[in-house]
Amino acid sequence: MSHGHDNPILHPEVQMSSTRGYFTGFLISLVLMAAATAMVSSHAFPPFGLLMVITICAAIAIIAQIYFLLHIDVSEHNIWNTVSLVLFIPLFIFTIGLTWWMFSQLYLRTMPMMPGMH
Amino acid sequence: MSAHDSPDPSKAVLWDTHYHGHDVISTRSFGYFLYLLSDGMLFATLFAAYGVLSYSHSYFNGQTPADFVHPWYTFTQTVALFLSVLAYGMGMSAVKKGNKAGLMNGLIAAFVLGVIFLGLDIHDMMDLAAHGVTVQTSGGASAFIVLTQVHAAHIFFGLLWILVMMAQVAAKGFTTDTVGRLLSLRMFWHLQAIIWVFVFVFVYLWGYMS
Repeated sequence: MSHGHDNPILHPEVQMSSTRGYFTGFLISLVLMAAATAMVSSHAFPPFGLLMVITICAAIAIIAQIYFLLHIDVSEHNIWNTVSLVLFIPLFIFTIGLTWWMFSQLYLRTMPMMPGMH
Repeated sequence: MSAHDSPDPSKAVLWDTHYHGHDVISTRSFGYFLYLLSDGMLFATLFAAYGVLSYSHSYFNGQTPADFVHPWYTFTQTVALFLSVLAYGMGMSAVKKGNKAGLMNGLIAAFVLGVIFLGLDIHDMMDLAAHGVTVQTSGGASAFIVLTQVHAAHIFFGLLWILVMMAQVAAKGFTTDTVGRLLSLRMFWHLQAIIWVFVFVFVYLWGYMS
């Protein structure tokens, strides 16, 4: 993260901007979102299969955006951003996943008569 | 060691005059990145709330996202936001060459496209309210509206920040402060596109199909 010049334009975080990278990230995520929208609005698959397919679309779009837009990689300059993001991901998943699991089990035990439970 | 290899004591530099640790821009942008990750945890709690309030009993026999979400309408918001993020990236590529006009064009385009995103979102929310879906309707509707509107609030403050940066760059040019802030705003703006993928796929699309 060190550099010996005072001109902010030459800072590595400025110089890592890449028109081609931003355009690639834009194109990949837009195509995937269009595909997901088309499949959902036409009910192309049964619900569970559809959920799996749009989850894969979202995952690829997010990875493309994290790589091309946030410049998360293992280069010397970005390694600490990458480390902190990698440590963040389990917190994000556990917060959502454990809360959802806890409440789904609670509903199962306390509201067995509710119609439409799944 | 021969005398030839020994440093001349009168000319020897005993310590480095430059600090080789984190420079100002890197320190600030790393700190801002950590802040953005904590902002991600805010969204995690809202996604968790939506997850537990998206069962059919959560809608109190009222309308569910399957009734009020229009996938292709929300897809136009996706296009506007992704284009805005792309425009900001193009502006930052111009900064690489010290091109102030290029940055300004990128910021203006990012601002206009962000306003389009926000306008479409506000129109959508007014439409929902007109059809009787507000935060008061049901727990499910509350979770849906709060999550999508917290994201919209991020866009609103990002738009204000874009205006501030246009004024600062116009007044001060490319200094360590302004360039550092442009880098922080780049992370903020690009992160909104990533959060939007989650919101669009797991709230709008999944809500529509279930």
